[in-house]
Amino acid sequence: MTEPSDRVGEVIEASTTEFVAECYELYGLPPLGSLVSVGDAADKTFGIVYHATTASVEPGRRPIARGKDEVSEEGIYKSSPQLEKLLRSEFSALVVGHGNSEAIHQFLPPKPARIHGFVYLCPSEQVKTFSRSFDFLNLLITTSLPVSVEELVAATLRQMGQAHEDKQAFLKAAGRELATLLSSDYSRLRAILGRIAPE
Amino acid sequence: MALDLSKIVSQVGAMVARLRADSRQRQERLEHALEMLGSQADIGRLRDKINASRTTWLVAGLVGGLDEHYPSPPVTSDFTIIASDGSHIDVDRHRSTRCYLINIGSVTLHYGNNPEAVLYSLPSLYAGDEDLVIAAPEQRGREQPVEGALLGIKRSVDECRHLVELAAALPADSPTLALLDGSLILWNLEAYAEFVAEELLDKGLLKCFEELRKLSRERKLALASYISYPRSTDVVNALRVAVCPEETVDSDRCSACDTRECDAIAGVRDRELFAGLLEPGERSELFISSSKIQQRYGAHQVHFFYLRVDDEIARVEIPKWVADDNGLLSLTHALVLDQCQRGHGYPVALSEAHEKAVVTGADAENFWRLVESSLVEEHLPFTGSAKNRSKRTRWV
Repeated sequence: MTEPSDRVGEVIEASTTEFVAECYELYGLPPLGSLVSVGDAADKTFGIVYHATTASVEPGRRPIARGKDEVSEEGIYKSSPQLEKLLRSEFSALVVGHGNSEAIHQFLPPKPARIHGFVYLCPSEQVKTFSRSFDFLNLLITTSLPVSVEELVAATLRQMGQAHEDKQAFLKAAGRELATLLSSDYSRLRAILGRIAPE
Repeated sequence: MALDLSKIVSQVGAMVARLRADSRQRQERLEHALEMLGSQADIGRLRDKINASRTTWLVAGLVGGLDEHYPSPPVTSDFTIIASDGSHIDVDRHRSTRCYLINIGSVTLHYGNNPEAVLYSLPSLYAGDEDLVIAAPEQRGREQPVEGALLGIKRSVDECRHLVELAAALPADSPTLALLDGSLILWNLEAYAEFVAEELLDKGLLKCFEELRKLSRERKLALASYISYPRSTDVVNALRVAVCPEETVDSDRCSACDTRECDAIAGVRDRELFAGLLEPGERSELFISSSKIQQRYGAHQVHFFYLRVDDEIARVEIPKWVADDNGLLSLTHALVLDQCQRGHGYPVALSEAHEKAVVTGADAENFWRLVESSLVEEHLPFTGSAKNRSKRTRWV
């Protein structure tokens, strides 16, 4: 079950393959590679956060340096409280599946997410259920994104690993799946595995 | 190409050359004015002479002296700034629908231990007969259309009305400055009939001022307006009165004057004068505006002072009840300066209120498109003037 406290933002742009959400709180971004969902229990779309930005609400107004006479970064926000309203954090999520309470499919949904749909950070239980299958990895490694796919796959597996009691077993199973998918591309496989190596 | 810049270049050159030739004379006049500002020994006599004078130009009334200046008082740790600004889409006689839109931007900024900001805009559409004209209450058929300059005045009243709402909604424990952009004096109402001034000033702006004054009895609340780079010459005109050899200054007799002593300071603006007097953060002495419309202001008679903000001299206008209360006057001085310092030379609250209020040319076009498409949906006629169509569909 997603709790209201897991709600991180709202969809402001959506397509078949991805959606962009605005955060309710400035800097309230879900981590890179985390699993998020949008929609109700009967028709949920799952996405993996692949990119995030924090910038001015208005494209024509760039933030300016303000901290020359401030002791701390927090002091800047305290002496200019309007900043919280003039800046916003957004993140983009790659669609990796959809489903309902009965089944989760790790392929593209028939329709894009709805604008203003609430976006939730998936709780551990849901992440565990989702990551029982590694079919989503295929969607990730075949996509073309502004960030390196190797970075994204590794970040996703690190995030998901935290939801599993036996993190090492999960990462080993994911590694085996990747070895199959990238059997002809050893350098990419090594780049990913190097980023999810046990700490 | 609509404007051929190549044909303007030589005219710009001539303008700059003229300015350069005048600059030495201006400097001499300014130095003379500064000398005069500091050498008025008998302020009481000057005050009487100003009060007795009859001039077409505005002469600052004196509260204290002329050249006193005051450093900025300390800023309290917790305080609130409220501000509102407006923008409008005027009635367009080339459109099929007679209406106008006023967009008010409002800002509440809390500083201190619990900093917070509330920024919002509130657009209102006016299309009713009672909105489109101001009717004389006792003269049937006599009315004044609300458009152009008068719509600008109505907007100023709306801005102040929003400020009252913001002030009334605040907790009483935080010292608050209510800020408006521009002048508190609706001097351009002088061009309109009495019933228009009654509606917009007596029942409009001054009513709002009165509500703010009532609120200020329960909490520390000051009202001020901020004029950046002012063009006013009220204080310089007071010096003109001082230098005039006539016992009673009457500008009707100026044309017959041969000696023209006041020419020695002609063309100097108050901002130039106070740039030579005030140190950063300092304010000038208080002065009283002598605008004719002020006769209606009563307890809200507008006083003003000049304030040195970095490189600029700004004019800050306050009603009499703020000017008479040392606590509110100090609060205004300290907080306007603080706002300017936070806003790199211009009050943050006013610049954010402006950002919320601004209606661009593209916004106005979208608004008219919305109006026209709504008329089409209801099968109502929407054809505007041929001139308007010609502007929108350009051809060769």
